[in-house]
Amino acid sequence: MQLDDSDGALDSWAGFCALTGDLVGGAGDLSVGPRLAPAVADLCARGLATLVRDYFLHNLEETFKNNAVKTFWQKFHPYNNSSAVERIKFCVQESWPEDVLSTALEDICLEKSYQEKCVLVLVHTLQSYEEKARNRKLQAAECSSSLMPRYQLMVSSVLLTTLPLSFPEILNVYFKKKLEELNTLMDGSGDNDQLASHEFSGGSNVSAWDSKMDIDSQETVISESGNLVKNIGKVVRDLRCLGFTSMTEDSYSSAIIWLLKSKVHELAGDDYRIPVLGCVKKWIQAVPLQFLHALLTYLGDSVDYESESSGLKSPLASRPSSFPGIGVPSEALLRWHMRLEYFAYETLQDLRIGKLFEIIVDYPESSPAIEDLKQCLEYTGQHSKLVDSFISSLRYRLLTAGASTNDILHQYVSTIKALRSIDPTGVFLEAVGEPIRDYLRGRKDTIKCIVTMLTDGSGGNTSGAGNAGDNLLEELNRDAENQENADYDDHTNMDEKQAWLNSESWEPDPVEADPLKGSRNRRKIDILGLMVSIIGSKDQLVNEYRVMLAEKLLSKSDFDIDSDIRTLELLKIHFGESSMQKCEIMLNDLIDSKRTNSNIKTSLLRTIETVTGQEEAEMSHDVLDATIISSNFWPPIQTEDLTVPASVDQMLSDFAKRFHQIKTPRKLLWKKNLGTVKLELQFEDRSMQFTVVPVHAAIIMRFQENPSWTSKTLATEIGIPVDSLNRRIGFWTSKGVLTESVGADVDDHIFTVVDSMSDVNKNSIVNESSEAFQMNEDEGESSISSVEEQLKKEMTVYEKFIIGMLTNFGNMTLDKIHNTLKMFCAEPSYDKSLQQLQGFLSGLVSDEKLEMRDGSYLLKK
Amino acid sequence: MRAFLPRTLALLCSQRPGRLELPLARMKVKILQWHAVASWTWDAQDETCGICRMAFDGCCPDCKFPGDDCPLIWGACNHAFHLHCILKWVNSQTSTPLCPMCRREWQFKG
Ligand SMILES: [Zn+2]
Ligand SMILES: [Zn+2]
Ligand SMILES: [Zn+2]
Repeated sequence: MQLDDSDGALDSWAGFCALTGDLVGGAGDLSVGPRLAPAVADLCARGLATLVRDYFLHNLEETFKNNAVKTFWQKFHPYNNSSAVERIKFCVQESWPEDVLSTALEDICLEKSYQEKCVLVLVHTLQSYEEKARNRKLQAAECSSSLMPRYQLMVSSVLLTTLPLSFPEILNVYFKKKLEELNTLMDGSGDNDQLASHEFSGGSNVSAWDSKMDIDSQETVISESGNLVKNIGKVVRDLRCLGFTSMTEDSYSSAIIWLLKSKVHELAGDDYRIPVLGCVKKWIQAVPLQFLHALLTYLGDSVDYESESSGLKSPLASRPSSFPGIGVPSEALLRWHMRLEYFAYETLQDLRIGKLFEIIVDYPESSPAIEDLKQCLEYTGQHSKLVDSFISSLRYRLLTAGASTNDILHQYVSTIKALRSIDPTGVFLEAVGEPIRDYLRGRKDTIKCIVTMLTDGSGGNTSGAGNAGDNLLEELNRDAENQENADYDDHTNMDEKQAWLNSESWEPDPVEADPLKGSRNRRKIDILGLMVSIIGSKDQLVNEYRVMLAEKLLSKSDFDIDSDIRTLELLKIHFGESSMQKCEIMLNDLIDSKRTNSNIKTSLLRTIETVTGQEEAEMSHDVLDATIISSNFWPPIQTEDLTVPASVDQMLSDFAKRFHQIKTPRKLLWKKNLGTVKLELQFEDRSMQFTVVPVHAAIIMRFQENPSWTSKTLATEIGIPVDSLNRRIGFWTSKGVLTESVGADVDDHIFTVVDSMSDVNKNSIVNESSEAFQMNEDEGESSISSVEEQLKKEMTVYEKFIIGMLTNFGNMTLDKIHNTLKMFCAEPSYDKSLQQLQGFLSGLVSDEKLEMRDGSYLLKK
Repeated sequence: MRAFLPRTLALLCSQRPGRLELPLARMKVKILQWHAVASWTWDAQDETCGICRMAFDGCCPDCKFPGDDCPLIWGACNHAFHLHCILKWVNSQTSTPLCPMCRREWQFKG
């Protein structure tokens, strides 16, 4: 090795440089290549191989940067230099950015492939030198092998360092447009009916999918889409070749995801009555997966590369899955499938969760949407998202002063029913229901509304859904029966083996579960139980029911209680026979009354027939019916004195006498203010029928003797206070039967029968007769003290304690008041529940004695 | 308003504060149905049965329904008990049964 032969080295270097310049700038002319060998060999022999390599690469870089790269980016200048608004104009052009992109890529790749050939020339030259050197056992730097990788690295670094900011955006637009095109192509083919028919079948059977293809039309679609994919594939390959591998993949991935998202939104929409999940899944297979398959195949990536899967087998791979038109999918495709499905589930889930409030309002019509949501959540496990989002929409939309208690309760029941299918363990329901229950506890009419909803077939159901005349209780009972039939766990004769198996299959509660609230194995969603938990205890519910039942029974004009008996039987199932004992006695009283009535009436009529001269009795005993109650078992009943007309009084005492004869030594005590009277007012020119309470009848009957009464005299006659009379008589003036005028005494009003209709609007007569047998609503003044009144009475003794406490402490929370009362109230001892106290306090708040601020009570100033 | 009332009517009212003597009314009230409400009672002197301490108008601990199903019975001493209660009592006594209230010999009132 002649290291001091510097002239020779310079010659070789000059020759190498000149030849390199010719080769690299040679525009496709590789002929100079072979002449490179002697100079390169000489330089290498002098240990300058790395210098040769670096110079060569530098030369390539300069050429590439100044020519190909410059022209490449120049193609995109018009777009890059425009404003955001102007860019839209580009995007709407059909061929943009496809044309620009593909020609630009074509040009630069052409240039690059020429340069690669140049690189190969040098590689070969170096290789042959290195080979000779090895044969002569000479040491030489191995430069040939690193040349090509260095070149590739150079290409991508040049491109990336000169990359305009908007280039990824251009790529994105390109892929979006191409995928959209592909989507319309696929959608426009036979897939349409398949997607449509799938909407109704709801399943997701893959094998059924490819069986009924229309071959002819399908083939054109396949070839068209094949071309489309090939074009895309070419662009992708070129981009990869330039080192944009990950940018490209990001770009088409996000385009696919974008398309998937818009597809989910399009399919899902605001119609909750059709399932969409199956459709979405179908579409994923039909469009994006077909595309990816074609793309990966084109790029030669479809072969399984086990090394990359790093031992992680996707769960999908275990399926014997064969995609339509794809065959057994590659690992990469399976990963894509999972990724896309997950994204679809998540998108649909978010969409449905966002609208869950509306969906539940629509329930059960919206159950397909619920079913979709259930599947999505099973896949994504994001139940907590549902809980958080739904609670906030509840607070915002339902738990407001404007919503009626009935509406809240109905939405609550719908929520329970809807969520029960998503969440059979009730864990999330527990979380969602808590704010509703808390809110309802603060409302005074909650118990009443719940009882009405449970027991009243018509009144409670405002939404109109469900069977008419069917109360919630009956529905719940049907559900319970169905559950029982399908329930194997609950068999009473569950043997030890079964118990062991059950304990084996035990799974921990999801994290949202409150550990204090029981484990999922025991938890069964019990709507009634959830309703009772709002009220606080079943006793309160039963008590309220008893009051409502009493009110209903006492205002009946017949003894038809079939539906009440049915309701009672259902309540007995849920609350136990002993809790319902008093109610049962009440109903039994009506049954007994019916029997006693007919006994007494037949015997009375027989007597009258035999006694002559009685025929002119003003009233036949036939018109009298009596409900005879066992008052010890009824809620407290407010009795008021009332003097009924003598004819009626006679009838009542005849009846009572006969009762005493039949049931000796039992006696009847009339509650004359209670009951229902049907009567007809007969005038010369008209007659009107009314159903009224006895006091109304007593009032109007007095006007037979006299067409005019002053309120004081009439009150005395009837035996009720004047102010009460003035209130009650309003019924008849409002009906136009009586008129009111003022007498000499300001307090003493005069009431007179409106005898002739001549001066009254005739229309009102027509209205009157159609209104007949309608109880006046003002008469809703109940004769039964409501539970609330009873409680108020019982609680009043504590009022002074509460006021005293608040005077000392300023403000106190509900709990604190409750605990303090429990601790210090010995005489009388305090035995009320927190709910009862809350009800009482909210009464004091509405009486403006107290104020509630930030969860604390304080004295109203 | 009151100032414009016909003088005669005002006079009439001041003279006869009670019933106004006017021609007989032509309105008739026909009762079609009078559905009344009453409660029953055994009408015993005491409120509760001296044996079970339950109300007479209720029923003894063994019964479900009051009234016909759980009648009262009076002794010759005029003390009343639930029939079922006094029968149980009488049957439990080994010697001559006495009234649980007054300790006189128990005899059913004829
Ligand atoms: Zn007794
Ligand atoms: Zn008894
Ligand atoms: Zn006695």
